[in-house]
Amino acid sequence: MEWDSDAEVVSGGEEEEGFLLSSDGGAFSFSIGSLLQSSACGLVVTDALEPDHPIIYVNTGFELVTGYRAEEVLGRNCRFLQCRGPFAKRRHPLVESSIISEIRRCLEAGLEFQGDLLNFKKDGSPLMNRLRLTPIYGDDDIITHVIGIQLFTEVNLDLGPLPGSSLKESGRSYDRFHSSLSTYRPVPAGHGSGCFDLCGIFQLSDEVLSLKILSQLTPRDIASIGLVCKRLYHLTKNEDLWRMVCQNAWGSETTHVLETVPGAKRLGWGRLARELTTLESAAWSKLTVGGAVEPSRCNFSACAVGNRVVLFGGEGVNMQPMNDTFVLDLNADNPEWRHVKVNSPPPGRWGHTLSCVNGSCLVVFGGCGRQGLLNDVFVLDLDAQDPAWREISGFDPPLPRSWHSSCTLDGTKLLVSGGCADSGVLLSDTFLLDLSTMEKPVWREIPVAWTPPSRLGHTLSVYGGRKILMFGGLAKSGPLRLRSSDVFTMDLSEDEPCWRSVTGSGMPGAGNPGGISPPPRLDHVAVSLPGGRIVIFGGSVAGLHSASQLYLLDPTDDKPTWRILNVPGRPPRFAWGHSTCVVGGTRAIVLGGQTGEEWMLSELHELSLASSVV
Amino acid sequence: MSTKKITLLSSDNELFTVDEEAANQSLTIKHLIEDTEPENGVPLPQVHSKILAKVTEYLIKHANEPDNDAAAKEELKNWDDKFLEKVNHETLFDLILAANYLDIKGLLDLTCQTVADLMNGMSVVEVRKLFNIVNDFTPEDEAEVRKRRKRGTKTIGPSNDQANQSNH
Repeated sequence: MEWDSDAEVVSGGEEEEGFLLSSDGGAFSFSIGSLLQSSACGLVVTDALEPDHPIIYVNTGFELVTGYRAEEVLGRNCRFLQCRGPFAKRRHPLVESSIISEIRRCLEAGLEFQGDLLNFKKDGSPLMNRLRLTPIYGDDDIITHVIGIQLFTEVNLDLGPLPGSSLKESGRSYDRFHSSLSTYRPVPAGHGSGCFDLCGIFQLSDEVLSLKILSQLTPRDIASIGLVCKRLYHLTKNEDLWRMVCQNAWGSETTHVLETVPGAKRLGWGRLARELTTLESAAWSKLTVGGAVEPSRCNFSACAVGNRVVLFGGEGVNMQPMNDTFVLDLNADNPEWRHVKVNSPPPGRWGHTLSCVNGSCLVVFGGCGRQGLLNDVFVLDLDAQDPAWREISGFDPPLPRSWHSSCTLDGTKLLVSGGCADSGVLLSDTFLLDLSTMEKPVWREIPVAWTPPSRLGHTLSVYGGRKILMFGGLAKSGPLRLRSSDVFTMDLSEDEPCWRSVTGSGMPGAGNPGGISPPPRLDHVAVSLPGGRIVIFGGSVAGLHSASQLYLLDPTDDKPTWRILNVPGRPPRFAWGHSTCVVGGTRAIVLGGQTGEEWMLSELHELSLASSVV
Repeated sequence: MSTKKITLLSSDNELFTVDEEAANQSLTIKHLIEDTEPENGVPLPQVHSKILAKVTEYLIKHANEPDNDAAAKEELKNWDDKFLEKVNHETLFDLILAANYLDIKGLLDLTCQTVADLMNGMSVVEVRKLFNIVNDFTPEDEAEVRKRRKRGTKTIGPSNDQANQSNH
């Protein structure tokens, strides 16, 4: 409710100020007494002699119903009740202007006002306020105070979610450490005290600082900002802020995937951001699941759909190409492999790729079938009522191939690169298939002036939105084919994308500027971390190096440098052949057992990148 | 066609006149006009003429935002960059306060992004210097906060620049 306009009130009778609060409130006590008890009834007194009629008293009923505490509202004009929640800056559009004008008219004329006005609780929920405003005259017939009696009733209005509503509150409850800094109170906007007088930045409200400024920074910056001073420390404890920071830094797709992990929410965005930045909690563990993938096979493809692992095809006994589909739901209490009976499965194959697009759709491309190499595309919507594989006749497809690499761009486009064509020719091309509409998708080759040496068994990873990173594989090197540890990147958001060499194995004997490069390999695993970093492990590695050692690269650095990442727990001894996928953004599931020959799909290994909350 | 003119009155009683279309980018001004139909200018007692001059400059420039014209958008972006190029911190924060109070989303986003860009990649000490912020942690508080923030960073090995920087 708005108790006044910006109209000036002539001042006078100073000694009257606050009389209602003292024991000589006499004249009004008869009505006030009962009001103080009633919880649905608010009582507010304003000082009409001060500009903008500040509140000088509210009763407990007001505090209980509106959710605003007295110390939050004393000194302010009452119109904040017309704003939805403490951060709204202006009156909610559903509050009727005509009532406001009427209140203003009455107050200017010194008359009593009575009417129904839409108000909002601190949590943003609407209230109907049957408001009665009574001006109180002092000795000189000047209005010294206005008493507002508010009869609140619940009102059913669908106003949608309240943006940034839980800002201050959530930051409090979630942090146990808070108690040791409890002497601190957030400073309200515009009331800089003590040292803050010097700092312009602290004139800004918590809302602007959090939602508008800090949310634009990186998780690392936020962690650093929290050490600057107490107020910033408290702002950086806030969950909503962390969520926004993660979303800005990692993209909404990544945060959305992280939200599918049951424990992630309880872990909190702040902690998740820290753990995924520092990798302090990364660990290997063993995961035993029920069910079986039968018949036994190798060279299958697996991919994650949310928190589910999907496995398709592979090479069975006597090089039998397989075409069955299995799902392992890690959200289940006792996860187990389940054979999914789907209609019209694609022809059997191995050395193909399986990717996830459009949230729940799986895409199979290429591979080696009974009749030789393939370049067909099949799609399966896992969440459909009757899941069925459907062939997509993509116009102008790439050459048939196997042992190529693929990844998903923008959540909707399949990217395919390299592989092995007929008669063992290695490929170096890159193709894009836009599956955002499944009707008549068209393959498009990405035209580049220069390509990295042709290869198979490499990995493609997406980072920073639309950039891709290619690592390793068996690459053509003159007349030879060698395992590679080269890194190439391409930014597909550019008008004319081109491959760039980032780090490589370099010339023999020459120092490698790229740090401790992982030993050259193929059929390895690349895991993309939020924020763009890539973790490499596994594969068929040259020499006596351990395949389970983890290597970390941040391609967004000015000079990307490989680092060794040591994590506790027991890694798998082997991990190659399209055997790994990342579920829920934080768990790399390694399908495969103790030897490279026999696949034990009931005993999986897991590289968890963040602590799991059970 | 003549457009309606709106007069804005700063805290130090200076008058600024802009087209209604420009003024309406400020939802606060828009609502004040709708509610009160002020005759002697819209009073903005929280905004000083020095800041209101900048704000009106922004409002006038952004009155007709291009929809699909890439070149015009580019030009406007360059103008935005120039607009805040020579602004000192004090004015920048005053502009944020004004943009927030006046509810001008574009200007608020622009000014806040500028501050965020300033803070980007800075160490703790640098942020304190940049904004003249006094470290009000007690040594015990600070030790506790640091302990919590730094836990576990050793796994990555040599780097973690930010944490090291913030150590001096």
